[in-house]
Amino acid sequence: VLSVADNGKPTGEDQLRALYEQAESATAQAMEDVVAKRSFGRMLAMATENVAALTRMTADLADLTLRNLRIASRADITRLARALGRTEDKLERVLQEIESLRDELAAERSKSGAR
Amino acid sequence: VNVLVRIARAPLDALELANILLTTDDAVLGATPRDAVWTHRATTLYRYRSSLREHPIPLLLVFALINRPEIFDLRPGGSLVEFLIEEGFDVFLVDWGYPDEEDADMGLDDYVCDELHWAIRETLRCSGADELTLVGWCIGATLCAMYCGLDGDGEQTAVRNLMLLTMPIDGRSSTYASWVGSPAFDAERIAEQFRVLPGGMVDIANKLLKPVTNFWTSYRRLGQSVADGSARRDVYQPMARWIADNPNFPGRAWAEWIALMYRDGALADGRTRLRGRSVDLRRIEQNLLVVTAAADHIAPREGTMPIFELVASHDVTHFDRAGGHIGLIAGSAARRELWPDIAAWLVERSHE
Repeated sequence: VLSVADNGKPTGEDQLRALYEQAESATAQAMEDVVAKRSFGRMLAMATENVAALTRMTADLADLTLRNLRIASRADITRLARALGRTEDKLERVLQEIESLRDELAAERSKSGAR
Repeated sequence: VNVLVRIARAPLDALELANILLTTDDAVLGATPRDAVWTHRATTLYRYRSSLREHPIPLLLVFALINRPEIFDLRPGGSLVEFLIEEGFDVFLVDWGYPDEEDADMGLDDYVCDELHWAIRETLRCSGADELTLVGWCIGATLCAMYCGLDGDGEQTAVRNLMLLTMPIDGRSSTYASWVGSPAFDAERIAEQFRVLPGGMVDIANKLLKPVTNFWTSYRRLGQSVADGSARRDVYQPMARWIADNPNFPGRAWAEWIALMYRDGALADGRTRLRGRSVDLRRIEQNLLVVTAAADHIAPREGTMPIFELVASHDVTHFDRAGGHIGLIAGSAARRELWPDIAAWLVERSHE
């Protein structure tokens, strides 16, 4: 094998590797064709819907169990976080109003100062 | 002899491969020093520290709602942020954070009309500039284009330059569309069930577009590079860590994105509305740079091209380069082959 390589020709290992890469590349292309089919999309959609429904059912069950034990559940924390988010939205708008009023006031002051 | 040496080295190679894979989470991403200048809900606006600022027009970087914006600042020596700072730009970055169930009601309108609009406002206030350059990538680019196409108060005039990197505006011919484009795929119901689409699920969907390449070939190539001594963990690990970091996608925004991009093509047709305001890309008048990647399978080039038929900009530049959706802009060749061209385009349009 070594003498063949010295002659500048590909070794057996090189040939094997090239053959493998060719096969891998063909498989990759074939798989890409498979996933691009509508039937694969339909299968994926059903699988996603099933996972989503199972996730929701598990989460609801866990929430119910915790609530019956008088312990705050994820749903309660989410509700609180949403309320905080709404407060933050309002605060952001108020802050922006204050900033624009301050800018307007500064502009007015500099105008009257220039007079 | 060669084969015997290989066999003798195999345990060592296996150990190194395992070490690279197991310590990937230790890779440092986003190492360039920065300060948070504004926050709202999960969104944070960062300004990168620099003593080299020389261009008066700041840059605001906007990434997608999937994956993290650290891709802009991947690793020292391979960071677009670092490069732009060295070129004298004042760089800001908007980070959408890690949305969770409490953000499930965030829609595209919230991202475009509130978060992005306010981030632009804060960027201008913080930098003292009247105008900025908006740089969007992937979904981030679509959000930027939607912002510039909004009907209304003319606040978009603050955007002087618009740079759109591998941006989808019409995905109806993509593989995604064959998955989620049919009415049988009830995106609204799935969004309602999940509340926030788990980031891992979005990642698996992305990887399924090229299953063999993503689930096998990349690891096989890493093993091969370890065996022949050419493995570069400083390059592999940051990218691998970034790919594995998948924030959740707020359910409402996700369902709206599916409808907008893969079902009705409303964005390209100018039929999109956000909070009652129409979004028409024909309103884009900014200096425009569009970068497309020839081998982009996430946002295929054909889905970006309609932008050129729509915009009203007089100054339009298109860089169409070889590469993939992420690799083109963050790959190891980008610093040499793309970033200097981007910087040159920006410099010409960033003077007062």
